[in-house]
Amino acid sequence: MTPTITATTIPGHPGAAVGASIAARAEHLTKVYGVGEATVAALDDVSVELDRGRFTAIMGPSGSGKSTLLHLLAGLDRPTSGTVHLGDTEITSLRDKALTTLRRDRIGFIFQSFNLLPTMTAAENIVLPMKIAGRKPDPHWVASIVETVGLAGRLGHRPSELSGGQQQRVAAARALASRPEIVFADEPTGALDSRSGTELLRFLRTAVDDLGQTVVMVTHDPAAACYADRVLFLADGHVVDEMFAPSADAVLDQLKHLGD
Amino acid sequence: MLTATLRGMLAHKLRLLLTTSSIALGVALLAGTLILTNTMGIAFDMLFGKISSGTDAVVRTHAPYTSSEGVGTDRGPISADVLDQVRGVDGVRAAAGSVSGYALLTDNDGRAITTNGGAPTNGYSMPADEALRGQVELLSGHEPHGAHEVAIDATSAEDHDIALGSTIKVLFQGPTQEFTVVGTVGYGDGIKDLGGTTSAYFDTATAQQVLGSPGEFDAIDVSADPGVSQQELADRLSEVIPAGTEAVTGAAVAQENADATKANFKIVGILFGIFAAIALFVGSFIIWNTFTMTVTQRSREIALLRALGARRRQVLGNLLLEALVLGLAASAAGIGLGVLVAKGLKMLMDGVGLALPFTALQVPSSAIWASLLVGTGVTVVAALVPARRATKVLPIEALRESTPGAERPSVVRAVVGIVVAAAGAGAMLWSLYGGASFKVFGLGLLALMIGVLVTLPLAVRPLAAAIAAPLKLRGMPGELARQNATRNPRRTSATAAALMIGLTLVVSMGVFASSLKTSFGDVLDDRTDADLYVATTSTQAPGFSPAAVEAVKAVDGVAEVSANGWGEARFAGGPSSYSAVDPSNADDVMNLDVSQGSFADLGKDGVVVSRSAATAHGWTLGDTVPAQFAQSGDHTLRIVGVYDAKGWIGDDYVISVAEQNAFAGAQLVSSALVTVDQGADVGQVQDAIDAALADHPDAQVLDKEGYQKVATGFIDGLLTFVTVMLALAVVIALLGIVNTLALSVFERTRELGLLRAVGMTRGQVRAMVRWESAVISLIGAVSGAVLGTGIGLALSQVLKDEGIKSVSVPVAQIVVYLAVAAAAGVLAAVGPARSAAKVDVLKAVVTD
Repeated sequence: MTPTITATTIPGHPGAAVGASIAARAEHLTKVYGVGEATVAALDDVSVELDRGRFTAIMGPSGSGKSTLLHLLAGLDRPTSGTVHLGDTEITSLRDKALTTLRRDRIGFIFQSFNLLPTMTAAENIVLPMKIAGRKPDPHWVASIVETVGLAGRLGHRPSELSGGQQQRVAAARALASRPEIVFADEPTGALDSRSGTELLRFLRTAVDDLGQTVVMVTHDPAAACYADRVLFLADGHVVDEMFAPSADAVLDQLKHLGD
Repeated sequence: MLTATLRGMLAHKLRLLLTTSSIALGVALLAGTLILTNTMGIAFDMLFGKISSGTDAVVRTHAPYTSSEGVGTDRGPISADVLDQVRGVDGVRAAAGSVSGYALLTDNDGRAITTNGGAPTNGYSMPADEALRGQVELLSGHEPHGAHEVAIDATSAEDHDIALGSTIKVLFQGPTQEFTVVGTVGYGDGIKDLGGTTSAYFDTATAQQVLGSPGEFDAIDVSADPGVSQQELADRLSEVIPAGTEAVTGAAVAQENADATKANFKIVGILFGIFAAIALFVGSFIIWNTFTMTVTQRSREIALLRALGARRRQVLGNLLLEALVLGLAASAAGIGLGVLVAKGLKMLMDGVGLALPFTALQVPSSAIWASLLVGTGVTVVAALVPARRATKVLPIEALRESTPGAERPSVVRAVVGIVVAAAGAGAMLWSLYGGASFKVFGLGLLALMIGVLVTLPLAVRPLAAAIAAPLKLRGMPGELARQNATRNPRRTSATAAALMIGLTLVVSMGVFASSLKTSFGDVLDDRTDADLYVATTSTQAPGFSPAAVEAVKAVDGVAEVSANGWGEARFAGGPSSYSAVDPSNADDVMNLDVSQGSFADLGKDGVVVSRSAATAHGWTLGDTVPAQFAQSGDHTLRIVGVYDAKGWIGDDYVISVAEQNAFAGAQLVSSALVTVDQGADVGQVQDAIDAALADHPDAQVLDKEGYQKVATGFIDGLLTFVTVMLALAVVIALLGIVNTLALSVFERTRELGLLRAVGMTRGQVRAMVRWESAVISLIGAVSGAVLGTGIGLALSQVLKDEGIKSVSVPVAQIVVYLAVAAAAGVLAAVGPARSAAKVDVLKAVVTD
């Protein structure tokens, strides 16, 4: 039987105090690729709860299902069975249009690469989801985000004129600009040098600590994972372990075990 | 490698279909026009060959010039006495005088049997000798004998249910007469009329009576004894015939006639050629775009092949082979379609009253080869550029993640484009105002278009900004559509070019036609004082009998009737058309600003010249003008007046109707102006004239509005024709837009995925692609409309001297064109928009 591990099951963790506030919840999530003999279960009956206002990292070796889990939680993909709740909304049964507007209004994304539209300036990219929705962005909020990520002075540049780290910070600013309930980051530092990666992770940490943002990040880098409050370890489509207030060494150690 | 090529082509069925159909359509237009032009040529040859096939030589009066000059060819009559001399020549088997002329048949109810497209309505003498009839043969009944019998072409008889033995009226230049139909005539091979003309046959004496004059023939047709060649016969005849006459071979006469007629229709051939060229031009853009797409889709595959050691030449050869196979197959399909296009065009021309003589469609091997060669050639050349580019790319670049970047239009491009366009515009103006030939105008137009096409990529951004301004209201999808349309200005302009060219042509024609029509109304108001107009029943008939004028004169309430005639001759050494007026009342009913002298002074040898001709030649009142008429030779005319205001009359030379009859033989009246008595009711007089013209079905009476409508009706017909031809080009342009959008959607898969991920709905994605398509279409349509309006205005301006004073831009019409272009763009976007909305979000945004 797959262990159901949530923050609330761990006494003494800050999560316990705000147990009532769950940002996203997956129940018995299964995702099977292929048909007939060739089926591969990327996720097998996974149930997790993600706390509001926390930074959660998902780790695991290649093929463990960590990216699949993120995509299902973010409404980018549909599970074979099981449900995902974002707040009180059950998103797995939503039609495409409702799901799309939900992504637009309630979720922020940071991908590993190709995060920005090449035709738009940094500033335009940041407010893109709100523009798509036909809403006016809150200028003060956007300004404070821009300042936090250190992009002031670069706003008029197009992505091709920005470094990889700068591009990723623009993506991070975009993810936060519409005050989403939850930000999903898929290997956000994967294509960055270590300094840029560190800057980005610090920013995400700040967003959680200062702005109360909920962040869920998939990574395979133990150094990145230790910026999180909590790390979920996946292997072979199952959640096999978790760690709170992780250190890089502990995470690395844990990963080694999973590799065995 | 061939297997790989074919398999690759079949793997992308939609792309294959788009490319094939665009090449095939372009080739179909080319093949169709070639087939049609060829068929027309054969029809003309046949038309003249059939009548004269039994004639070995023709004896006729000498004319100062031949029909090859493109002026009137009616020769003076030859005396009947010459016939006896001819018959006495050794080697003459048979000879007969021939007479032909205007003869308008009427149906059982007395209505004129009119023809389409100005095909003549002719009467002929039917020679007793059957060989001299050529392929003219009786299909039923017998040949006409005596003063009251006629044989008519079988088409007229069948179409109007004219039975043998029935009595019909036939209208001539002289009095109308009644005849009994005794036979129907065909022209061999089941052909029942001569290329859309109507024909009436009389015996020679009757023909002389009704078509010419007794004791005279138009010419003498001679048939040779066996073994005597045409040239021998003509040479022998030349020795005996009197001075002022000539003997030429039958073949030469047939050729002369065919050449003259073909020259008249040359413009149609040129028009067709232009459309075919546009179609191919547009088609090659599509092919170019398609191969760019092919190459983009395969760039990684190509890079992999290159990385694994495939040589550039192998890859390039593979792509060119694909182009060759595609070009050949599509061209072959296009030729098949071309036959349908030719049929459709013929129907279209019939429909708008531009009927031409036709036989069954002839598909010459030259048309097939030309179409195959051009279609395949254009395809391969259009594929060459993207193919070369693909193989130039370093393998590692293609394997790396990259979005194809747009090349920024260069300053060199701007300079070259503007210089070429300016040179073109200059050449056009030089032709229009500076007197350079019309060929210069054509070349200038071509240069202007090329210049504009070269510069267009630079105009894409500002144009898109202006066009897409209303899209701001559509939110982000609208804004993104504008940005996407301007991302690759060269591709956008290449796609829009087809619509631009089409709109340029159709709008310039529209502006010109609209100005022409408006001006003609002004001309009727300003330049004539007529209350009513008498015109031909069929808009393109050469004229009506002078007898109708006499009938109108007799009507109660009619004050003046002023007949106008028209003809061609040589004046002051050059071929020119002339008008003929009635000197007794021309000054009263016309208002041509005669600044010196008067129409009343025309007399026996007077001429009124236009101000422009007088200025050009330095003529003043009393000077003489040498003139040559085909029928009567040299005359010296005295200038009795100079007129300023062209419009109602546009010719440089105006003589009297009496002079015309004396110099050129009896002629038809082209139109007549009527004024009513003071106090008379115009409507009542019109009704009375209408009744009086019951016996003259070749003429009709019209008020000003009616006459304006009839006289400018052909403009609408021409415009319809041009519009339909261009519609075909627009269809090809749409395929181009589909192609370009498909390419763009493919290239932007990741972007689309990102947009979908961050919350753009499928509907918004579809809207974005639709708007992009509309913006591209409108870039082409708007620039075409602007260019076309400019050209149309320039064309109209230059005819100011000819009375086109009013300039009119058909705004509503242009707005409709633009709306259609935008709608067509949206339609073209349906498929690409759907595939854009289907983009898999995960595949697009997740790095594999």
